Amino acid sequence: MPPLSSQQEAKSDLDRADLGGLINREQLPSGRADLEQPLVAHSQRERILNAMAAACAAKGFGATTIGDIVEGAGVSRATFYELFKDKEECLQASMELSLADAMGRIVEVYSPDKPWAAMVRDATRAFLELLASRPNFARMALIEAPAAGGRSLEMYASAKRVLQAVLDLGRNDPIEEQGIPASAGRGALAAAEQLIVGQILAGNSERLPELLPDIVYIVTIPYLGQDEALRQSREAEKLIHSGA
Amino acid sequence: MPQSSGERWRPPRGRHRLPREVVERSQRERLLEATMRVVAEKGYGPATVTDLTREAGISRTTFYALFVDKEACFLAAYDETVERLMRQVTSAYEAQERWPERARAGLEALLAELAADPAQARLLLVDVAAAGPAAQRRYRAAVQRLTPLFDEGRDFAPGGRGLPANASRLAAGAVVGLIADELVADRADNLPSLLSDLLFATLIAYLGPDAAAREVGERTR
Repeated sequence: MPPLSSQQEAKSDLDRADLGGLINREQLPSGRADLEQPLVAHSQRERILNAMAAACAAKGFGATTIGDIVEGAGVSRATFYELFKDKEECLQASMELSLADAMGRIVEVYSPDKPWAAMVRDATRAFLELLASRPNFARMALIEAPAAGGRSLEMYASAKRVLQAVLDLGRNDPIEEQGIPASAGRGALAAAEQLIVGQILAGNSERLPELLPDIVYIVTIPYLGQDEALRQSREAEKLIHSGA
Repeated sequence: MPQSSGERWRPPRGRHRLPREVVERSQRERLLEATMRVVAEKGYGPATVTDLTREAGISRTTFYALFVDKEACFLAAYDETVERLMRQVTSAYEAQERWPERARAGLEALLAELAADPAQARLLLVDVAAAGPAAQRRYRAAVQRLTPLFDEGRDFAPGGRGLPANASRLAAGAVVGLIADELVADRADNLPSLLSDLLFATLIAYLGPDAAAREVGERTR
């Protein structure tokens, strides 16, 4: 659905060891501090962010009112306005928290020594599990925030560029000579995104991890070819069923 | 505000003897078209029932006789537009024989239809997400409508049976995503030139990169 605003299709210049640097350049939160701390409602701020995500999931960001949020969070209006200027700022804060978590998970499995396909698989798996564990935030981050425009949309586009850069590490020169369009990686990412969004809209967020084999297939196929992509996909399937 | 479309036939004002259903159908059609125009222009949130009735040239009473609220009206307008679009795509698809050519023709029709009305295209594929959960589900259904065009790839592909069950959804997702990128970047006029990229994104899910590149090279040169 939403955009990848940079349309550059250049070969990734992402240094394998420098994912953190790229995340910073994209001005995304990379706060590993949030990693260990689940979104349990400790503070008022967190309660508000949880209530925001829940209200968005129920009625959409557009129809969500400050009243819905403060009621869900069990805080006063005054408290809300001490912490946030308006609904948009609250959405952005919620988006920041979600992205910090997602980027944290990806940085965790990202290693210069790991084969590319294994890294992509592990990162995708971690991402799907994160989304499945927080369905309201998944919906807010992937569907409502990009549609809301402004800073939320910018953050979403930045996150997509980071994922694209990770995928493009698998790109090697010969494939461009074989007539494979420069947009192939972007198409693969879009396919994965739509599959995930579709699953969330169908109300099946808890089953997102089951999409791993299909996503591994589509994001590796432009770079590794069909036979190897199918093999990687079967590996991913085994991994899910073994529960390892 | 866009001008009310003068292209559509309207029943003459004043006393006339047209059957009631004909009048109602024409009002409904006008309203649905007006709704797509107004929402594409103003956004779903800011658009009011008054905006819709004014653009359609109908009364509020007529509006509420047809729909309970703005959302119901928008959902009907969205569905109708998708329906019309899919008729074009399907008939282009069915006019060809071999699957890669069928896919190419379907995608070409899709791009032509979307490029003809960029504001509406953006509403259909991007801004619809801002219209609430029910509209988002309609969007999902619209993307699903594309998958039958791709399912045939399974019979065409040499290793079709072993492909992921979601192959057609992956292909549809890539197509829609690449189009949305272009719309968001305000490059709707560039849509027709996306054909070879979209065809590749469709074929690769079934045939792999090499065969997909060969097919695209042969068809679109």
